[in-house]
Amino acid sequence: MQPLLHLENISKRYGSVRVLDGIDITVADNEFLTILGPSGSGKTTILRIIGGFEGIDGGRLMFEGRDLASVPINRRPFNTVFQDYALFHHMNVAENVGYGLKVRGRPRAEIAAKVADVLETVGLGALGARYPAQLSGGQRQRVALARAIICEPRLILLDEPLSALDVELRAQMQRFLKSLQRRLGIAFVFITHDQEEAIALSDRIIVVHRGRIEQEGAPEQLYRRPRTPFIAAFLGENNLIAGTLAGVQGAVCRVETAAGPLHATVDGPAPLPGSAVLVAVRPEHITLAAAAPGALVAEVVEIRFLGANILIELRHPALPDTLIKVRRLADGSTARLSPGQRLTVGWAADDAALLVAKG
Amino acid sequence: MSTTSSSHRSARPRRRGIVRDLLWHGLNLGLPLLFVVLPILSFVLVSFWTLTNGQIVHTLTLANYRAFFTEGSYLQVYLGTVLLSAQVTLINVVLAIAIAVFIFRRTPRVRFLILMSFMLPLFMSYIIKIYSIRSILGQRGLLNEGLLALGLIDQPIEVLLFSRTAIFIALAVLYLPYAILPIYLALDRIPANYLAASADLGATPLQALRDIVLPLGRPGIAAGAVFTFILTFGDFVTPQMVGGTQGFTFGRIVFSQFGLALNWPLGSALAVILLATTLLAVALAGLTLRREHVR
Repeated sequence: MQPLLHLENISKRYGSVRVLDGIDITVADNEFLTILGPSGSGKTTILRIIGGFEGIDGGRLMFEGRDLASVPINRRPFNTVFQDYALFHHMNVAENVGYGLKVRGRPRAEIAAKVADVLETVGLGALGARYPAQLSGGQRQRVALARAIICEPRLILLDEPLSALDVELRAQMQRFLKSLQRRLGIAFVFITHDQEEAIALSDRIIVVHRGRIEQEGAPEQLYRRPRTPFIAAFLGENNLIAGTLAGVQGAVCRVETAAGPLHATVDGPAPLPGSAVLVAVRPEHITLAAAAPGALVAEVVEIRFLGANILIELRHPALPDTLIKVRRLADGSTARLSPGQRLTVGWAADDAALLVAKG
Repeated sequence: MSTTSSSHRSARPRRRGIVRDLLWHGLNLGLPLLFVVLPILSFVLVSFWTLTNGQIVHTLTLANYRAFFTEGSYLQVYLGTVLLSAQVTLINVVLAIAIAVFIFRRTPRVRFLILMSFMLPLFMSYIIKIYSIRSILGQRGLLNEGLLALGLIDQPIEVLLFSRTAIFIALAVLYLPYAILPIYLALDRIPANYLAASADLGATPLQALRDIVLPLGRPGIAAGAVFTFILTFGDFVTPQMVGGTQGFTFGRIVFSQFGLALNWPLGSALAVILLATTLLAVALAGLTLRREHVR
C-alpha cells in the first residue's frame, strides 16, 4: 500500500555540517509516528523539512505519490503544532482557530460553526472570546491543536508540544493527544526527546541519532530488542556486557564473556560468529538466586531503596568495569539483602538482546 | 538601648531618602518645566499680544489668530502645507512599510546591514543632504541628465526644482529614515514563528502581511507617520532651499515672522497653530492604536 507520506533518502547540510544523512521514513494513514532523538539529532530538521520550512539537499519528499518539492508551505496538505504554539496574540481563540479557514476564503458562518465544533472537540467550548494571554499552558496547547486540525489535514506535525508543560499536565495531555488522534483518524508525526513519552503514545517510533535513523519499530519491539548500544542506553535502562559471539541456535546466541558464556536473543540476521557483541539485559529482567557453582555469581555493592522498587547494584569479579543493575519490587525478600552478599544473577535468553558493538 | 539606637539609625536615612526623593522629583519635573513648558507658555502668551508700529502692545487680544483666518494667504498656505505633509507622510509610510518588510524578511545578519544603509543619511549633515538633492533635481541635475540620456524626455523637466514637487520629493527623501526605523522595530518584535504558523495554516504572503505583519506593526506605523508628519510640517529650511519662490509653506511663514518681519506676536500665534496641529496628529495616531493584547 502506498504510504501517506514518504521521505526518500533525504539529506540536509548546514554549510559543511551534515545534519541529515539518508533519512528514509514512511508515514501510514492514521498512524501515530514518533520521531525520537536527543537534542541535536536532527529530528526537528526532519519536521521542518516535512512542513516546508526547510529545503533539502538530497532525496525526495512524497505525499501520496506526489513530490512536494515545489509545493510551498501554505499549500502543503498538513498543519503543524509548534513547540511554543505560536498562537497569534492579537487574535482571540476563535480567530486563531478559524484562521486556516479564513485564509481559504470560507464563509463566515461556516467558519464560526466549524470553530465551535473544533473547540468542543478539544474541550475549550466556552473560551472562544479569550485571548491567548488569558489562557493556561494546557489551554494554549489545546488551541494550537484545534487550529491545526480545523482544516482537516490528513497529517499533523507536532514539534515537542508537551515540553513546556509540567509533569502532571503533560501526562493528562498525553492521554488527550492519543485519544484525539484515535477519534480523528489522522496521522500524527510527533517529535520528542522524551523516550517515555514516545513509548506511551506511539504506534511506531523512529529513533534518530546524529542525523541518521538508528532504529525503528513498535515501542515494545524497540524496548525489548534494541539493536545498537545507543538505543539500549537511550530507551530505558540496560545492563551491557561485552563479549564475543560464539554460536547461534535459531534466534538464541551464545556469547563468550569474561564472566563465562551468556545467552541472548537476536531478531533478524545474527552477526558472524567471532564478532564483538554486547548482551543487553534490563534491570527488571534479572533474577537473583542463592550463589551456586558454575553460575554467574556477583557480589552486592549497593542497595538503593526507591519506594515500590529496589535497585541492587552488583559486581562480578571478572567484569570489574560493569556494574550489574537489578530492579526488583521491594518486598520481604529484598529487605534481607545486604552489601557484600554473593548472589547468582540470571535471566531468560528471551529477555536479553544481542547488540553489535560499534568501534 | 539597642532599640533606640536602631530607630535613630533608621530615622536619618529616611530623612535623607526624602531629600533625595524631592531632589529627584524636582529634577524630573523641573527640567521639562523649565526647558519645555515655560518656553511654550511664553510664546502662547506672546501670541496674544500685538505689534503696532514696531512696538509690542502688551494687551491680550485674539487679533493675531483673527489675522490667520482672514488676512493674506495664511490659511491657504496652512491648508496647503497640511496637504503636502499628509502626502509626504502617506508616501513615506507606504515606502517605509515596504522597506521594513523587505528588511524583516532577510536573515538576521543581513538585516542589520540593510537597516544601517537606510539609516546612513541620519549620520550626514542636513546641508550636504539638501545640496545633494538639489544637484539631483536641478535642470542639469542627475535625474534630468539621466532621463535625457535614456531618451525618455527631450527637454529637462524644470518643475523638478524650485516647485512644490521639489519640496515634496526632498521632504520625502529627507524624512524616510524616520519612518523606516520605528516600523522596522515594530516588525522586529513579531515572533518569527508567527509567519511560519500563518503560512502553515495556508496563508499566502499577502494574507500574512494583512493579518500578522500590519496589525502587529501598527504601533510602529503610527509612530513613523507621526514623526514624518511633524518633521515635514514644521520644516522651513527644505522648502526654502528647493522650493524657490513658489514653495511657500507654513514653516516658512512662521520663520519669516520671527526672522524677517520681526512680528513676534503673529509668529507666536502661527507657531501655536503649528504646535496644535502636530498635537492633533499625535492624538489621531494614538486613536488608531487599539489596546494591545500582551502575550
